[in-house]
Amino acid sequence: MEVPPEGKRSILSWIEDRVNLTEIVSFLSVFGLLPTELDSRKPLREALREALRQPLPSYARWPRVLGILAFILFVFLAISGIMLAFYYQPTAGEAYASATSIARDVSFGNLVNQVHRWAAAAFLVILAWRVLRFFFAGLYGRSREVIWMVAVVTFVVATFSDLSGRLLPWDSSGYWTTIRAREVTDALPFIGPFFTFLVGGRGLDSLVLTRFYVLHIVVFPVLLLMLFYVHFSSVRRVGMSRVDAAPASRSFRVALYDVLLLLIFLVGALMTLAVLRPHPFDVVADPLTTPPDARPPWYLLAPHALQQSLPSIVPPFLRGIFLEVIFGVVLFLPFIDRTGGTGPKRRLILGLGIAACVFWLALTWAGWHMEVSR
Amino acid sequence: MSRARWLLAVAAAGMTWLAAPATAPAQATDSTKAVAPARDAAADSTRAAAPAPEAPATTHRAAAKALRIIPAADLASAAPGTMCGVCHSDIRVEFDRGIHHTERIGCASCHGGDPNATTVEAAHRGGFRGVPRRRDIPTLCASCHSDVARMRGYNLPSDQYALYQTSRHGQLLAKGDEHVAVCTDCHGAHEIRPPDDPKSSVFARNIPTTCGRCHGDLALMRRYGIKQDVAADYKLGVHGKAFLEGGNSAAPECTRCHGSHGATPPGIGDVEKVCGQCHGTVRSYFLAGPHKAGMDKADEPECAACHDHHKTKPATVAMLDTVCLECHDQGSKEVKLAATFKTMAVEASDRIDGAERLVEEAARIPLYVDDYKSRLTDARTALLEAYPVMHALDAAQVEPHTRRARSIAEQVSKEIHDKIAERRWRIAGLGLFWFYLLVTAGIILRARRRAAAAAEGRS
Repeated sequence: MEVPPEGKRSILSWIEDRVNLTEIVSFLSVFGLLPTELDSRKPLREALREALRQPLPSYARWPRVLGILAFILFVFLAISGIMLAFYYQPTAGEAYASATSIARDVSFGNLVNQVHRWAAAAFLVILAWRVLRFFFAGLYGRSREVIWMVAVVTFVVATFSDLSGRLLPWDSSGYWTTIRAREVTDALPFIGPFFTFLVGGRGLDSLVLTRFYVLHIVVFPVLLLMLFYVHFSSVRRVGMSRVDAAPASRSFRVALYDVLLLLIFLVGALMTLAVLRPHPFDVVADPLTTPPDARPPWYLLAPHALQQSLPSIVPPFLRGIFLEVIFGVVLFLPFIDRTGGTGPKRRLILGLGIAACVFWLALTWAGWHMEVSR
Repeated sequence: MSRARWLLAVAAAGMTWLAAPATAPAQATDSTKAVAPARDAAADSTRAAAPAPEAPATTHRAAAKALRIIPAADLASAAPGTMCGVCHSDIRVEFDRGIHHTERIGCASCHGGDPNATTVEAAHRGGFRGVPRRRDIPTLCASCHSDVARMRGYNLPSDQYALYQTSRHGQLLAKGDEHVAVCTDCHGAHEIRPPDDPKSSVFARNIPTTCGRCHGDLALMRRYGIKQDVAADYKLGVHGKAFLEGGNSAAPECTRCHGSHGATPPGIGDVEKVCGQCHGTVRSYFLAGPHKAGMDKADEPECAACHDHHKTKPATVAMLDTVCLECHDQGSKEVKLAATFKTMAVEASDRIDGAERLVEEAARIPLYVDDYKSRLTDARTALLEAYPVMHALDAAQVEPHTRRARSIAEQVSKEIHDKIAERRWRIAGLGLFWFYLLVTAGIILRARRRAAAAAEGRS
């Protein structure tokens, strides 16, 4: 990073005479890749050098990397998703043929496909993990309410995004997983009818497939991007978690190298999973034959079990109200639990949280083993 | 043109019906008896002449009378026994459902008497036969059904009576045994429906039940030395299951093997001919092999000796373990040949099963499997071809078929294995990729350490 000698002008400075590069690069701070906005009055190199030299209290140190990890995974998903979209055809007649063709005929098609699937799975796990970490580390107190709520909403939007993606190959398991998942969402008052309206009906036909596709590649990604934006800007405003606890010894340059290392191991892990544990393609979806192992996706197993185990006297549209109440409690936790992650009542809150997690896991187990009666 | 003529014919037929009651002189005095036939006649005329415009019955009757279009004598012979049903109403209800009613063959055709008479005495006079005796029934039916000229109009065969006389039923009847089946036992007496009517007792699907009415009656069968309930056996055999449960109309019911009117059990030497009607390929190999002569000599019923009759066993390779031992000794060259056949078939079948599992696995990767699937269908066909050939009892003839089946399956398995093995290179590629990643990580780690040291120095 040496300043070029006077008189020998670089391409960079040629561009900088015409475009404010610093301002453009400064945009990266929106997604957590830079600690602060750059001083857009200075040339890019100088502004960067200043920013990279800034000491960072505890930036990008384990386990405070879940947000950036999720964002990197989101970028992976976007890139691999765009590649898949070049070949995919979102109609019931063509979906299966085009999806299998991507995996079979297109060069590295299956690798991209499998990376997309594994990245999606990892994305959800990391987002869920992040919410759990925020809770158990008490990171939802004063001034971090928005970060908490955004984390919860990001997870929910990500599950919807995952759900809409599962239908796209139009194979038997994806189709029936979606059917089961929609049984859960249809039971939600207010949200269920809205979702039904959004995808154009209760059935699963070609039109619904196209709408799922549009939701999957445009609506949900844009929502996620907006949520990431809000998250990182809020983080820059209120600071990293427990700023006071970490020594200010590292520069941002070091943190950036850490992120690079993380990226490398993430790529390695995804590639390994994609090659060694590829998701198999099921047979083409047949709306007339329900496979015996049709279940909702893992994140909906617990709501599924909850709804199915309610006595039949509860009307169908009210079966989902419990789920909405739970969602409401989780979303507005910072306002319900005014202890702010500290204080004498902290033990009680933690105990309740652990009990809720155990209950949720038990319901998930029950949902997996549940014989769906119809 | 033809439509107009048809309409005319239908109208004329309707007129005949309408005019018929008018020929009975006493009907005007007896109101109930007069009204009933007129109503029936009107109903019949609408049924027969549905497309023709409806007209008041009285007008037609009056017109027919006044114009004397149709002579009274013709009316009497053409009209079925319209008056019989007044007393025999239950029989008439049955009769009206039958084909003879549709074709206007009246009561008097079989029973004699005067169908138009209005008193019991008059009706039962003049050649009245009453209920025909059982031994007379075949001759009675034959009086029309053996008449070539009469049957021609209906495109019906006229040899049923001749066939019947050759049948076991007919032969015993000729000897005076009235327990055997006569025409009415299978076809019914009054409600005789054509064989293509699903409600008919001689409709293909109903034949096992119809034959079973007598042949399932062991008390009756004991008279003829038959101890087996063949009807029940048939329902348990492959043919019965395929025909009655599987809905396979190519599977035989009773008459396809035994004949219908000429029903008789095939002789020992004729079994292969009967079975060979459908199982032609098997028959040709059977005739080429040593079993035909040997079985005929030993008085064994050819196909049925191994496969059974009525309760026909499904032809599987498992049969080869047991069925040969019924005649041949354990350890004999015949039993060894059977074991060879079984080994050949089972080996080929196992290879095909294995290849099919591989194809399923490959489809989930996904790989192109359409070609493999069609080749395995070929393999199955080749194996299927081996089974008829086994009846020639020559391993050298069977071997090419099973070998073909096996080699196709092996080839498909090998190709899929090769394709899956190609995927192992991806694992090698993954190793290479990790090497590259680790080298990059090492470089970054070094740069990071430098940056950390620089930051330390600054602070």
